[in-house]
Parts: sequence; structure tokens; C-alpha cells
Amino acid sequence: MPDTHFYRYDDYDRTLVAERVEQFRDQVRRRLAGELTEEQFKPLRLTNGLYLQLHAYMLRIAIPYGTLSSRQLRKLADIARKYDRGYGHFTTRQNLQLNWIKLEDAPDALAALAEVDMHAMQTSGNVIRNVTADHFAGAAIDEIEDPRIWCEIVRQWSTLHPEFSFLPRKFKIAVTGSPNDRAAVRVHDIGLRLWRNAEGEVGFEVIVGGGLGRTPMIGKTLREFLPKDELLAYLEATLRIYNRYGRRDNLYKARIKILVHEIGAEKMREEVEAEYAEMKDGALKLPAETIEAIARQFAPPALPHRPAVVGAVEALKLEDRDFALWLKSNVSPHRMAGYRIVTASLKPAGAPPGDASSVQMEGVADIADAYSQGEIRVSHEQNLVFPHVAVEDLPVVWLALGRLGFAEANVGKITDIIACPGLDYCALANARSIPVAQSISNHFASLARQHDIGDLKIKISGCINACGHHHVGHIGILGVDKNGVELYQISLGGDVDFGKTALGTILGPAVAADKVVEAVDALVSTYLEARGEGERFVDTYRRIGAQPFKDRVYAAV
Amino acid sequence: MPLFRETGVVEDPWQRLDDEAPVPADGMVLVSFTRWREARAALLARRGPVGVALANTDPVETLASDTSRLDLIVLNFPKFSDGRAYSQARLLRERLGYQGELRAAGGVLLDQLPFMLRCGFDSFESEQKGFGEALAKARTLFSVVYQPTEDGRATASLLRLKRRNSTSVTPSEAPALSEAEARGP
Amino acid sequence: MAKNLSGDLSVASANRLTDGVVVFLDDSGEWTARLDRAAVARDKRSAEILLERAKTEAFSVVDPFLVAVAEDGDGAIEPISLREKIRAAGLTFDAIAADAVRYA
Repeated sequence: MPDTHFYRYDDYDRTLVAERVEQFRDQVRRRLAGELTEEQFKPLRLTNGLYLQLHAYMLRIAIPYGTLSSRQLRKLADIARKYDRGYGHFTTRQNLQLNWIKLEDAPDALAALAEVDMHAMQTSGNVIRNVTADHFAGAAIDEIEDPRIWCEIVRQWSTLHPEFSFLPRKFKIAVTGSPNDRAAVRVHDIGLRLWRNAEGEVGFEVIVGGGLGRTPMIGKTLREFLPKDELLAYLEATLRIYNRYGRRDNLYKARIKILVHEIGAEKMREEVEAEYAEMKDGALKLPAETIEAIARQFAPPALPHRPAVVGAVEALKLEDRDFALWLKSNVSPHRMAGYRIVTASLKPAGAPPGDASSVQMEGVADIADAYSQGEIRVSHEQNLVFPHVAVEDLPVVWLALGRLGFAEANVGKITDIIACPGLDYCALANARSIPVAQSISNHFASLARQHDIGDLKIKISGCINACGHHHVGHIGILGVDKNGVELYQISLGGDVDFGKTALGTILGPAVAADKVVEAVDALVSTYLEARGEGERFVDTYRRIGAQPFKDRVYAAV
Repeated sequence: MPLFRETGVVEDPWQRLDDEAPVPADGMVLVSFTRWREARAALLARRGPVGVALANTDPVETLASDTSRLDLIVLNFPKFSDGRAYSQARLLRERLGYQGELRAAGGVLLDQLPFMLRCGFDSFESEQKGFGEALAKARTLFSVVYQPTEDGRATASLLRLKRRNSTSVTPSEAPALSEAEARGP
Repeated sequence: MAKNLSGDLSVASANRLTDGVVVFLDDSGEWTARLDRAAVARDKRSAEILLERAKTEAFSVVDPFLVAVAEDGDGAIEPISLREKIRAAGLTFDAIAADAVRYA
């Protein structure tokens, strides 16, 4: 295995994945032979990542902490080509979804994944899911510690956990290593925030009970400061309380956020701390050496010194307006002055957001090999990220991305839309989301206009399960079904910047599908006319309130 | 309902006592949690082993001072997807030090056996076809585990530490049988 | 398209076990991917019978259920709900092709 700058599987990890694939192969055999009913089989296939959607099975492949080597990405391209229809969808939890998998092929697809140390374990089902992180981890300027070390530690602890494989409901954990929370920790079942206390020690703030969906809630702080080596004991305590006392009578009230809401944060803390007191200093305490051995594997690559200011780049910036805009929106600062973090936009105008074909994936892998230390990240905004690109290489990367269709200078802009698959794919949806995203994207395609509008996050969900995270969009759009007709409810002012985690407020009555673009246009016009110096859309909204937006939208639709 | 241990199907020697029925003077008697709380003293005063069947919402902590005097605890899975009994099992074994027979009843399916064994269950009521064969293989289905439980299996984490600090240890070189493993049927 | 307004027409549908493909029960009790070959129940009682039959043939499919359909003047059937229309007909937009690469 070529050197990577993140966790490398050893023989133990590989053995476990291989044994899981063999177990699932036998379970599929038994299902096809009628020895298992669908009811008995369903949790088994879910905990191996296989959903049944409208048209076919969907395989949700885990991409732990959103980090991939080029070799892994090529394998994903290969699997998409061999077992699917030659494309995949990157999700809001940093996973990859293949939408046309056959059950009878699933064990082979999983075996192929295992060849590159990947899997689809626990990406579905009432278990602990993929632990997500900051997609700039290991490269960002403001990072206190790489959160992915802890994602990996939690990943192992949570995989095939014998006590927590039949929880009341799914369980999602996110980790941030930076005060600018790009992992949305406050809307997860457990959010972990690394910070440094007055004594200079780094530990976790543990946040519990956040989540979107039917009853969106912002998580409460369970513990201000938890020593790092106690993380697993604390998590085990929390999960045990949830497993024992989480509601099981009502599917829609079964998340831990409901438990916290019903017993109160104070009582929750008491219960967890009491359980934790029994466990701390026990078998789950992490030896320093264990942490070190994993942390070492995330050591950033030794990047050769490269110039911070490059004449050719400056010249191109002046000559080519598209390049200049791309630098502004898709390129972010890096720890090292001679480097940048580059986001490949998977939101070309009019295309389904977050999708990539096998050819595009392979193209991205090639760019990563040549210009980004062989590493790619998946953001939870459905884009791909190159974490270590030398400033000198920005023009060639931009051109290469352009050839793939991934160089749209729209990251963070109005057409960088997050959308769930919606009713086109998903059996849970009430309405479609991809066509809505496409129509908005086409309407605002002009780059100049997008950059004038500035940072604006539109998030679209096709149902209340909120996989599109609409609650935390600056503009959130929720598809609903009224008497068989698709309608879209618009909300404003959602956000997930740490310290400003906010849930959007509904603007008014839902609008028809063919009026959504007009509504968004009205919102944008209201903003452009009212904005103050340096104000983003969401800032103006916070200053002037909903009424001006509401008036304008409902006059237009 | 067939009763299984890792050695195979076994006869159930326990007599399930109705809540209303009088407590027999001897014999192996299994009572409900309600009955246990009402008649604890009487049950312990007799000759003959006592077993308790818990609902998965019953607080196992209540049995803390009695675990050494019980020979059977039955835990229930109302549906196989209701995983509360896994926590009860671990608390009984690891926190309360229970060493008697720990039986899984209710929705007990062979695909959950690796988890159940790791949580400390050692007997199982199930009507599922193929259960016995699966149970015979369940403990070795996964040769690598990540989490420490009372089954004493060395975790990958521990094995890595050992390997780094000495000559290599492979997953198959399991440590000496823990008390749980040595307990047997 | 003139819709049958009696609202009692239905077909039995499921997803095929091996590959998840949307299928419909035909007159001979086999599962077909073609909606135009589906057995149509024309009243409530026939629908119940159709569903029962689908359930007995459920070995090769997952969770059969009834889908309300409408019939146009030419006898073509189409599901009434948007979800079932999409299930029967596929995606409502063009997914990117396997080799979608734009050249600069």
C-alpha cells in the first residue's frame, strides 16, 4: 500500500473487514434461498450499507472522516463502473452512494472495497454511523489538533460493537478540531469539539442531542472538558444510557435528542457521569502509546517548500476572469504559505449536485496524485477537496478540473447547492430535490452574478428527514407533498458556523415547484437592494428580519 | 422452545414458576422479576437454585447484592431489534460480577450470536432453523474484535501494543481462557 | 389523457429481490418490469385478491403492495401518485453518463 497521510489498515483491520464480508455473503445467500425473511434480513443488509430505494438497492460506502487516497478513489470509480451505472453521489455525511447495485453483487462489491481498505459497515441501520470530520482537517490554518485521529479511534470502537448494534435509532457523531466548526458538531447526536483549556491541555467539549429532521435541535454541552484519553469511556457511558433509555415506542421519537429533551440536559449529564464514573480508568482508557500510534499516521506530509507568491499565477489572475473568480471562491488558505486547499466543485451549472462519474473520479485521482500528495477529501457539502496544492500548481489544477467539469467557481455561492437525492431516488421522500437544484443552478449560472451575490448556502431536502440539511441553510427548501402535488417550503437564516448554529425560520406558505426559482430570485433581489457594506445574504436577513423577504417572495409567486 | 448452549441443544432443567403459584421447597425454580422482589427471602431460604427472568426495562442494578446467589438470569428481547438486553447482560457480567447462566430469550436470531456471546450470554432459546450450527461457529466468526468486554478477548488495540513492545502476537494467539470462557455449560 | 375517475384501478408492485428492479405482477402470476403487462384489478375486491396473490408469489421480491393507477382512453395505465410514476418510469432528469467529461 503506498504511503498515505492518514490511518493505514493493519492486518487486524483487514481481517475484520474480510470476515464481515464473508458473513454478509452468507447472509445474502440465505436470504436469496429464503432462509431469512426480509424482516430478519433488513438490519443485516442495512448494517452492511445496503438500502432498498425506489428503483434499486443503494450501497452507501463509508469514507471515514471524508478522507480518500487516490488509489481508493480509483477503486470507487471501478466499482461504480462494474457494479453500478458508472457514477456515484457524494453525501452530506462524506459517504459515497451508488444507486443501482444488485443484492446478488453486493458481496463482491464489498470484497472489492476491502481490497483498498474500505467498507460499507454501519452506514445504515440503528447503529453508530460514519464518524465525520472537518474536510479541511490536517491542512487548515485554524486547527488545534487533527480531528481525524479521534474519528479513527471512535470508528474502531464503534465497529461491530456488541452492545450497541441494536440501538433505538441511528447514531451520528462528528468531530471538529478547530473553532470554526466545519463539521456541524452541534447538529449531531454527539458532537466532539477539540479545544485547549487555560492550562494548555487539549480535550473535548462533548455535545449531545443535536440533530435535524422532524424535530431539529441544537445539541447541549454534556461535558465542557473531557481529557482525551477518556473519550471512549465517556462515549460508552453515553451510548449505554441511550441504549437503555432511548424511546423505542415511536420511530420518530427515538433519537437521543428526544431523550435529552424529555429528561433534560441536567439529568442526562447526571446519568452519563454516573455511568462514566464506573468506567473511567477501566479497559477503555486509551494508553498514550495507542493514541500516539494512530496520531502518527495522520502526520501531515512533509511538504517541500514552495513559493507563496508566483508570477505566473498573478498574471493569470489578471488575464483570466474565470481563474480569478475560481481563486476567490474555490481556493482556501493552507497552513503553509506556499500551498492552498482547493475545492473541486461538484455543482456544475444544471447538473445533479454532488454526483461524479467514474471517469470524473479517475480524473480527480490523477490530479490528486500529481498535485495533492495523492489525497482527496469529501466535504459534507457534496464537493471534493484537494488538501495540499502548491500555489505554483493552481493554474494546471484549475485547467485539469475544468476538463472534468469540476472547476465552476461557485463554492459557497448560490449554485453550490446541497441537495438530497429526493423523490427521484429515495423511498422516503415526498418531493423531488434534484430538479429544483438544477433549475436554481441554471437560473443563477452567471459567475459574475454569483460572486456579486456572494456567500449564500441553499440546502434542499425532499422530506422532513432533512438529509439535505435544509434547517441549517441560509435558504432552506423543504419538499412536501400536498394532495399528490409537490410543494416547497422555504426557510431563512439557518447556519452551522460554530457559535452561530441556527435553525432557519419558515418564511410562509409552501410554493409550487415551478415558482421556486422566482421565489429564490425574489429573496436574492431583496438582499441585493437592502444589503449593507460587507453583508452576506444571511447577515442582511439577520439585520432586517424576514418581513421584507416575505413580502417580496409572496408578491412574486 | 429449544434451548441451546455452545455444546448443542440441551434440556431445560428449570421450572418456570407462575407469579401466583406457591414456591416449591426444592428444585430449580425460575421466577419473574416481580415475584423475585416480593418473595426474595423465601426463595433464597429454600434448598435449590433460583433463577430470575427480567424484562428488558427492569433495572439489573437491583440484583447487585444477589448475583452470587442466582444460578440463572433470563434476559428478554421483545423483538430482535430491541437491543436493551445487551446492556443488561454486560452490566450483570462486568459490573455486578454475575457468573451464573445468562440466557437470551424472545427474539433471538443466529445472526446476533457473535454480539450476544461477547456480551456474556451463554444459553439461548430459539426456534430458528440452523441456530445450533450457527452457535457452534459464532465465537470464531470474527477473529478480530475492537471492543473489550468481559469475554476477555484481546482487542486489536491491546494486541498492537503487545506487538509493538515484544515479539509478534497474531490474533489467533488468544490469551488464556477468561473465567467466562472457562465456565462452560 | 382521459383519466378513469372511478379510482379503483390498481396493480401489484414490488422490488425484485436480487436486483431491486421495480416489478409488477402480471396475469400469469409472474413478475415483470413492464407496467403495460401488469394485471389490473378493477375494483376493491379484485385488488384484495391481487395483493394476496402477489404475497404468495413474494419469494423472489421484497414487500409487494398495491399501486393505484389510472387508465387513459387508449387503455394505457399510469400510476396516479408521483412517487409511483417515478418508480415506474425512472429518474426525472438525466443522470450524468458514464463518460461525461467536458473538453475545454
